[in-house]
Amino acid sequence: MKHTIKKTLTVLTAALLAVSATAKDITILNVSYDPTREFYDEFNQVFAAKWKAETGENVTIKQSHGGAGKQARAVIDGLQADVVTLALAYDIDAIAEKARLIPKEWQSRLPDNSSPYVSTIVFLVRKGNPKGIKDWGDLVKPGVSVITPNPKTSGGARWNYLAAWAYELGRNGGDQAGAQEFIRKLYKNVPVLDSGARGSTTTFVQRGIGDVFLSWENEAYLAIKEFGDDYEVVFPSVSILAEPPVTVIDKVVDKRGTRAVAEAYLNFLYSEEGQELAAKHFYRPRLASVAAKHKQRFPDINLITIDDVFGGWQEAQATHFNDGGTFDQIYGK
Amino acid sequence: MRTFRTIVTTALVGASVGAVSPSHAEDINNQIQQLDQKVRILERKLEIADENAKAAAEKTPVAKADASGFSFAAPDKSFEIKFRGLIQQDARFWFNDDENPQSDTFLLRRVRPTIEGTVGKNGEFRFTPEFAGSSTTLLDAYTGYKFSDAVRLRAGKFKSPLGLERLQSGSDIRFIERAHPTSLAPNRDVGLQLSGDLVKDVLTYEAGVFNGVVDGGSADSDISDDKDFVGRLFATPFKTTDIDALRGLGLGIAGSIGKEEGSGTTTGLASYRTPGQVRVFSYLTSTNAADNVLADGDRTRIAPQLTYYYGPLGVIGEYIVSSQEVRKDDQTTTLDNDAWQIATTYVLTGEENSFRGINPARPFDLAKGQWGAFELAARYSELNVDDQTFPTYANPNRSVAGIQSWALGLNWYLTRNLRSSLTYEQSAFDGGAAKGADREDEEILFARFQVSF
Repeated sequence: MKHTIKKTLTVLTAALLAVSATAKDITILNVSYDPTREFYDEFNQVFAAKWKAETGENVTIKQSHGGAGKQARAVIDGLQADVVTLALAYDIDAIAEKARLIPKEWQSRLPDNSSPYVSTIVFLVRKGNPKGIKDWGDLVKPGVSVITPNPKTSGGARWNYLAAWAYELGRNGGDQAGAQEFIRKLYKNVPVLDSGARGSTTTFVQRGIGDVFLSWENEAYLAIKEFGDDYEVVFPSVSILAEPPVTVIDKVVDKRGTRAVAEAYLNFLYSEEGQELAAKHFYRPRLASVAAKHKQRFPDINLITIDDVFGGWQEAQATHFNDGGTFDQIYGK
Repeated sequence: MRTFRTIVTTALVGASVGAVSPSHAEDINNQIQQLDQKVRILERKLEIADENAKAAAEKTPVAKADASGFSFAAPDKSFEIKFRGLIQQDARFWFNDDENPQSDTFLLRRVRPTIEGTVGKNGEFRFTPEFAGSSTTLLDAYTGYKFSDAVRLRAGKFKSPLGLERLQSGSDIRFIERAHPTSLAPNRDVGLQLSGDLVKDVLTYEAGVFNGVVDGGSADSDISDDKDFVGRLFATPFKTTDIDALRGLGLGIAGSIGKEEGSGTTTGLASYRTPGQVRVFSYLTSTNAADNVLADGDRTRIAPQLTYYYGPLGVIGEYIVSSQEVRKDDQTTTLDNDAWQIATTYVLTGEENSFRGINPARPFDLAKGQWGAFELAARYSELNVDDQTFPTYANPNRSVAGIQSWALGLNWYLTRNLRSSLTYEQSAFDGGAAKGADREDEEILFARFQVSF
């Protein structure tokens, strides 16, 4: 009998040790948009090392990238994301509204509207800028071929579209019909609609199509970093303040028991180390001290906001990108 | 494509520069650049269309229609629904039936649509009604869950895992009617079953608890509180070896244990039939309760079984002994009825024989001169009723004490789904006629046309 008890205790202890050992290996999934691949590749490694040092736990961060709208739909359809780091708030709002995986007030939970870094839209042109493209107005000229993804599936493309609309509104004194006509002409010059920003980079850089690529600032610098002197960045007279937001997916982290690590992961984006990494990958840091350090890399340009010009993402989405919205009217013609 | 484009571009530029003025050359160069862009755009559009098609394919349900049936499935098969069916149109022609006249007849033997599928990756279900016969019955209706290859849970109404030939699908049996051991094995029963591989490809098991049914019977509910426990082990010990001649050898043992208590309305006892489905044995029943024979206690069955397949040759053999405590008024005893069969088949056209039927290598197609597959079959089978049964529990002048049957068959597999069969079966009887004489032999020719998918 004694032997039996002893054996049982040994087995139980071994089992508990085994369970404890496995409990220290955590995996979380970050569902993000197209151009953040390289940034999160490095950020994840740095965070995992930090988390290990602080808690002793091994954390593996898996990444999923694609057009922001498609990514949001995947989460709504059941993709078990612990955190999402998407291109625009509207797509995360959709996760709150359609799947109810997060509270509606998700954006107020972290500083700066839950956008730890910002970016903007710039023009990437071929070396020497052979078509002389300097501002949005040049994009509607005959013979200019413009590369931008599909705003129905890409968050970046929606920023492009709205930046162009805002430019024309500013130029023509607020004439919405004129802005719509301007956008129609612009998309007439778009030969290929990719589903995401990374696909458009492929189209412009690797397939050699088009004269100008409407690009995330970080994606443009990344292309130059990879392909050197073949391209130039052009800053238009006005662009848009793009605030890619982040949040934990509450129902997933609570079910998987990963809330602590998921929250720490996002908070680390706001730390000086996280902000430095963002700047390194050409995202504009929020933290003033880090932003000041990288001022030369990110020139000051006139940045309009979604709230100021379009009344927020909900209104912009409904007017321009929902089925039957202005984009459908323009592109359907 | 790119190489071709480069060659054309180079050739055109070279030709134009050499043959025309500088301004004209520039125009031509611009046109070439525009054409180059158009080609690149078309290529990219095709590339994107291809990517989109692949992405869509990953989400689009797969509809399938082939020899195994019709189905719809999620791309990863996690959800699937299959529509299957079995229709058997039979004919029975009796010979030498002067003493016990039978009608030669066409009949629908089995008409069974089946809906089955998976729910999630591990959930399963099946629903099969039977439309043949005088009334519609629910044949199979079960749900299940696969925890692993070793543990599968099934709940509902389905075949009790005891009789070897009973477990063979009705579309795959090689004679028109199953042999006598099936008369002693439970048919469909309601209960819970665990099954799986104890050793992959070598040893499988089934173990379940069921309401319990009479020999050869099916039921939707129990007539008493007691339940039957049924189990089966089946081994193919050489299946994974290199010994070709033994790879197709299968050996099994099945058994059941339970209790049955009959009543005035339901005796809890079976009657037995000939291959021609004529009832030739039944226990005594009477309007006087004291003269009724009832099940009254333990019911056990033991069933060793064997299969052997080697190339076109197939053999199955099984033995079943069914023991049941019975009571008539104040007399009780345990009656042991047994049955056995040995059957062999040979595919004349050389296809691989198997427990699950024949897949013709050259499906029937007159235009191509293909005739499908042909198979010869022979069987001997016996049923023996316990001697103690007579005359206390059964009338020897009306119920037989034994049946000995031999059968010859020819099966023509036109395709995997179409089959035509002929079986001649002759049965001799012990007793069962007036004054203790033997009942007249049954000689019957069966024909069948079958569609299954």
